[in-house]
Amino acid sequence: MTTETNPNPTLSRRSLLAGASVIGAGLVAAACGGPKSTKLTSPAEVNDVSQATQPNVGRPVTIVPAKKPSADDVKIAQLAAGLEVLAVGTYKAALDAAGTGALGEVPPAVGEFVTVAMKQHQEHLDAWNSVLTTNGAAAVTEPNAQLKPTVDNLFAGVKDVAGAAMLALMLEQIAAATYNSAQAVLTDKDAIKLAGSIQVIDAQHVSILLYALGQYPVPDVFAKVDLAVAPGGAPAAPPTVPAGTMPPTE
Amino acid sequence: MSMLHRRSHSLDERAFDELIEESQDLHSDALGVANDTLADLSDFASDRRRSGVAAPDPSQLEAFDASRTNLISRLGLALGGALGVGALSGIFAKPAAAADGDLDVMILQTAVSLELLAIAAYEAALTLPFIKDGNPVIVKFAQVTMMQHSEHRAAFSAQTKALGGTDQTMTNPKYTPIVEMAKPTLKAPIDVVKLAATLEQVATETYLADLNMFTDVKSRVLMASVMGVECQHLATLRAVGALLGTPELIKIPIGADLAKLPKAAGSVAFPEAFEGVTMASPPEEGAVK
Repeated sequence: MTTETNPNPTLSRRSLLAGASVIGAGLVAAACGGPKSTKLTSPAEVNDVSQATQPNVGRPVTIVPAKKPSADDVKIAQLAAGLEVLAVGTYKAALDAAGTGALGEVPPAVGEFVTVAMKQHQEHLDAWNSVLTTNGAAAVTEPNAQLKPTVDNLFAGVKDVAGAAMLALMLEQIAAATYNSAQAVLTDKDAIKLAGSIQVIDAQHVSILLYALGQYPVPDVFAKVDLAVAPGGAPAAPPTVPAGTMPPTE
Repeated sequence: MSMLHRRSHSLDERAFDELIEESQDLHSDALGVANDTLADLSDFASDRRRSGVAAPDPSQLEAFDASRTNLISRLGLALGGALGVGALSGIFAKPAAAADGDLDVMILQTAVSLELLAIAAYEAALTLPFIKDGNPVIVKFAQVTMMQHSEHRAAFSAQTKALGGTDQTMTNPKYTPIVEMAKPTLKAPIDVVKLAATLEQVATETYLADLNMFTDVKSRVLMASVMGVECQHLATLRAVGALLGTPELIKIPIGADLAKLPKAAGSVAFPEAFEGVTMASPPEEGAVK
């Protein structure tokens, strides 16, 4: 028996296509805030996402050679970037629709949520693309191809803030589940940490959307992975907006 | 008449009951999965013991030591200055060496210690008059969250034993005295919310920091799934904290009052784009000594 068993069939190694880039240094750069970061002083600091994401820490740094990531790590980085492109694009479309009045009156808290969530997803995208480009792979600029048609179809039916929030909820749940599921596949220490640090934020987006939609903000005892997307594949469970999630009117 | 009945205008009890039932189902499912894998994990534990794998990485532990100073100041702020930094500093002395040298086991034991403390903290909070007789959503949140932490403890304990380790039965040695010292200072809901948020942030960041230290993938996946829930507790507490000035807006469902929420409520729950690990507990902190 080895430690490489995969307890999560959603992201089976067998399902991953062969990739071939060394992305460890890129992961370090991404975890350090992307292109603005410079050096790391020790392997421990390489793994310290908090230092990486707080540019005011001001610690001197030295690049430390990272363990060569696997092809799976590359595929996960590409998958993650594609999901982030989709999230950014969807939030941008929602903001545009709100700007034209197509969604009706937008509560201030909802507008704030969309603005900040979109910005954070852009930072996540930048982090993953930094990983890819630093190591010679192309940056991902297109949304996840498996989900894009579904999201477009659902967005066409969005007529109000609640509808937009439900679509956002679906995307955030997929993203959080994917990052959670990726923990069973990732091998690079920095990739593991980066995926985990983003999973947290996306799960928190989920909680606030649930509250806004009239639901309990922490519905699960253990985070679910049934909506996780695998590289080149669709979610284990088809992405749909569940019925009955509209907040009751008073 | 119970407090919940008296305040039913702002609490959907049926929805909460359904939530609890669903959570119990999830728990059963999780235990089923855990039981299915325990035999394999036990074999793995034997393999690990024979090979002596996974001694703690000193460089990783040093990084956590460096974070302690930051943690002291942040906790001091979270507790409203009720606890002096000097009083806290003594608590942050380096722990004694752990009895079990397996890093995976130490991580899981520390996780159990944090879960046990969280359970105790929510249990204590529910005895406070301004909590138990206060906003019913906060009461229900404390009850449900305490139950969820209990499930997390059970899962981490099972995994500890599956890897051949000794189950931790004590609350976290670093934070237990901090919580005990804080209890007399808890005079209003905001005090409790801040303390609970601190514990949830410590748990979230500890589990995040632990992810890439595991050699056992099953343990890592379990920890990620728990981290994904602790961070939601934290998000909810941050949002509740921001709304305590308008408690009538702390209700489920929020309904049409969504329009009344202050702008900040839309982002207060996730102040950073990436979660940090500055408040993470090191693996040996709650290990069985």
